[in-house]
Amino acid sequence: MSVETTTESAPAPKKGTNILLGLTLLGLLLALWLALGLATHAFWSPNNISNLLRQGAMTAILAVGQTFVIITAGIDLSVGAIVGFTSVIVAWLLQAGVPLWLSILLTLLIGVAIGAFHGFGIVRMGLPPFIITLATLTSLRGIGLLITNGSTISISHEGFTNFSRADFLGVPSLFWMVILVAIPAFVYLHLSRFGRYLFAVGSNSEAARLSGVNVNRTIYLAYILSATCAALVGVLLASRIGIGNATQAEGWELQAIASSVIGGTSLFGAVGSVHGPLLGAFILATINNGANLLNVNSFWQRIITGLLIIVIVYFDQLRRRGTR
Amino acid sequence: MSSLQELSHRHEDEAKLAESETVPRGAPILEMRGLQKKYGFVEALKPATITFLAGEIHAIVGENGAGKSTLIKLLTGVIRRTAGEVLWCGKPVQLATPTEAISRGINAVHQEVVLCPHLSVAANMFLGDELNRNGLMRKRAMERAAQAVLDDLGFQLPAAAVLSSLTIGQQQLVATARAAMRGIRFLIFDEPTAYLTRQESAQLFRLIRRLREEGVTIVYISHRMEEVFELADRVSVLRDGTHVGTRLIGETNENELIALMINRSIEQIYHKEKVPAADVIVETRGLSGPGFEDISLSVRSGEIVGLYGLIGAGRSEFALGLYGRQPVTAGEIFWDGKKVAIPNERTAMDLGIALAPESRRDQGLCLNLPIGLNINLPVFRRLSSGPVIRRRDEAENADRQIRNLAIKTPSRAVLASAMSGGNQQKIVIGKWLSHGARLFIFDEPTVGVDVGTKAEIYRLFGELLKQGAGIILISSYLPEVYELSDRLHVFRGGRLVASHDHRAASHEDVLTQAIGA
Repeated sequence: MSVETTTESAPAPKKGTNILLGLTLLGLLLALWLALGLATHAFWSPNNISNLLRQGAMTAILAVGQTFVIITAGIDLSVGAIVGFTSVIVAWLLQAGVPLWLSILLTLLIGVAIGAFHGFGIVRMGLPPFIITLATLTSLRGIGLLITNGSTISISHEGFTNFSRADFLGVPSLFWMVILVAIPAFVYLHLSRFGRYLFAVGSNSEAARLSGVNVNRTIYLAYILSATCAALVGVLLASRIGIGNATQAEGWELQAIASSVIGGTSLFGAVGSVHGPLLGAFILATINNGANLLNVNSFWQRIITGLLIIVIVYFDQLRRRGTR
Repeated sequence: MSSLQELSHRHEDEAKLAESETVPRGAPILEMRGLQKKYGFVEALKPATITFLAGEIHAIVGENGAGKSTLIKLLTGVIRRTAGEVLWCGKPVQLATPTEAISRGINAVHQEVVLCPHLSVAANMFLGDELNRNGLMRKRAMERAAQAVLDDLGFQLPAAAVLSSLTIGQQQLVATARAAMRGIRFLIFDEPTAYLTRQESAQLFRLIRRLREEGVTIVYISHRMEEVFELADRVSVLRDGTHVGTRLIGETNENELIALMINRSIEQIYHKEKVPAADVIVETRGLSGPGFEDISLSVRSGEIVGLYGLIGAGRSEFALGLYGRQPVTAGEIFWDGKKVAIPNERTAMDLGIALAPESRRDQGLCLNLPIGLNINLPVFRRLSSGPVIRRRDEAENADRQIRNLAIKTPSRAVLASAMSGGNQQKIVIGKWLSHGARLFIFDEPTVGVDVGTKAEIYRLFGELLKQGAGIILISSYLPEVYELSDRLHVFRGGRLVASHDHRAASHEDVLTQAIGA
């Protein structure tokens, strides 16, 4: 066809910037590790590395689930509460003598149900994601406290509590769980058509709908995946601390959102990856771990985390503007 | 003194326009001398010398990407020039920031309304410059003043209404009134009528003429030739970033302007493929739904059925109903002679219906996603084995459409938002070409699209017809539906009020039927 005359000032292809951001974050993580290794001998000790991987693992899983939701231009504030709630559920089931596999399965199904409820609120009732997940945040804590009567449920199942302390091939089992989540998550988000639909819904749900994308199902799926990841973390947390307690994991939703955003996810939707939030979660875990090793006041850790979010996202914004 | 003048004088005092910054009517008010803009190696505007006279309406025409937007941005201080100079009232000026441009009285009204939808009309008109007493807003006084201005301009708009309750066209009028209040001396309109009805356009034109009488210089950018000839005193043509000429409107004609713009004659644009019509693909009987009532029509293989009417006449609503996006409340749809129900979009797609919707921005594209993803969105199911996408097929399909449609992009990975209107429209069309439908519904396919791309889109219609498809063409641009449709249906107030065979009725008849005068 003709009309080759006009010039289009199109920007350079965006291909690869995702990978670039990933590499920048990886560089930051390695630099942190290097610096901490030089600053304190304890950092590179096998014990501490295992500890770091365990610390980061749970936030990482939450952050991956959260990222699915944020890509649809939504938010899931309930994940911290789900972790606390499901830790109670799994503990209660185990103490009631339900077999281990069934206890875990039922707990995960409760995660599915909570996610489906979020989807229902958003799709059918037309509630903003912020509101419906805020509502479950407070309610779930309440329900968990009602079930336990405000106390904690101790878990006497030794196989269950040993799991979180175990290593496999020299790597903590909790970190293996991250890999177990990350691989299917990567396939889902980056290799399957349902992942593409997630981006399309986050970018323009009406255009997606008119293109034959089942928008409602896509939204349901995102919230179900996020809540199920949270339920899995609830099981892992119960295993790690040996109790079920509804008030655990306070503020973890913000950790998860922060990890996701540090990992390059845009809160406006349609931008995000699986490796980004993973790196984000381990950067946050490293900062906490390093601050502990360096005897930095834990109050300061919170301030540093806040500053870090601003700095990283600001640089990301600059970079985006630069490529535009 | 009119309320408009009162208000605009208030602003002139505040802006402290130097008395030296005035020129008599007809003298140069703004002169571009060798003005140039480069983005890296790309020369978006080659050194251009254009003089704008005080109190003239100066149209600027050119295809998308010809440099019109660059020119606007340079004059309104949004971007900085690479070389050249600008004289304002005979003195060199920087125009380095929007604030500087506004303080000199240079302002622009954009195609897309950039106001606050949740605030009232009055609040929007006074935004950033509210009337106040001791820091407290004088809401009533602003509403009264805004209403006076609107009445004065002949716009029948309530100043107290929330902006989002108005149509896009009315919002555009508010934006113009807002600019007119602010002591403007040089006002740029960027395709202001793209989303306006005829009545709204007429109101806007009255306002523009009135501003000219008050000595304001108007720069009018439009794809619509008839508007240029109706309004402008002079016209400048841009092509490929080059200023190729300026003409007095009385000394040129549409053919010459188009020749300057694209080197092609007008007959070649509305070229219509003659394809014998065959079997009926789809037929509606008494179809009703939100915004349309009792619509009976049919589309045959190889024909274009045009739906003409004003915006809001029910054409797009009918299309959305047929496509399963809106619920149908009564009536029947027959596909290949068999009665069908189309409860959702997926059913429509599976039958073989494609819809290129009215608004590229709101319905057509995922703007902040790559071109390739947009093109493939309806067909990912076909490009996947189970849930997993075959990446090579994905890339091939996107590249094929980019090549077929000559979408001007270095790569399928470029975001759709980086494309011009014409190229964005091609992406929307590309989505549906790869889907391979038998009935194509094109809703306003050429809004904000330049002449060259229009011709390409029309040629594409011909190719679809030859492959046995049928087309429903919805348009508010009469020459387009009139010339292209085998059968033309006129909509008014949600109903089908008249039908004509190709060129069987005059332009005037069709218009009268659409307006209901």
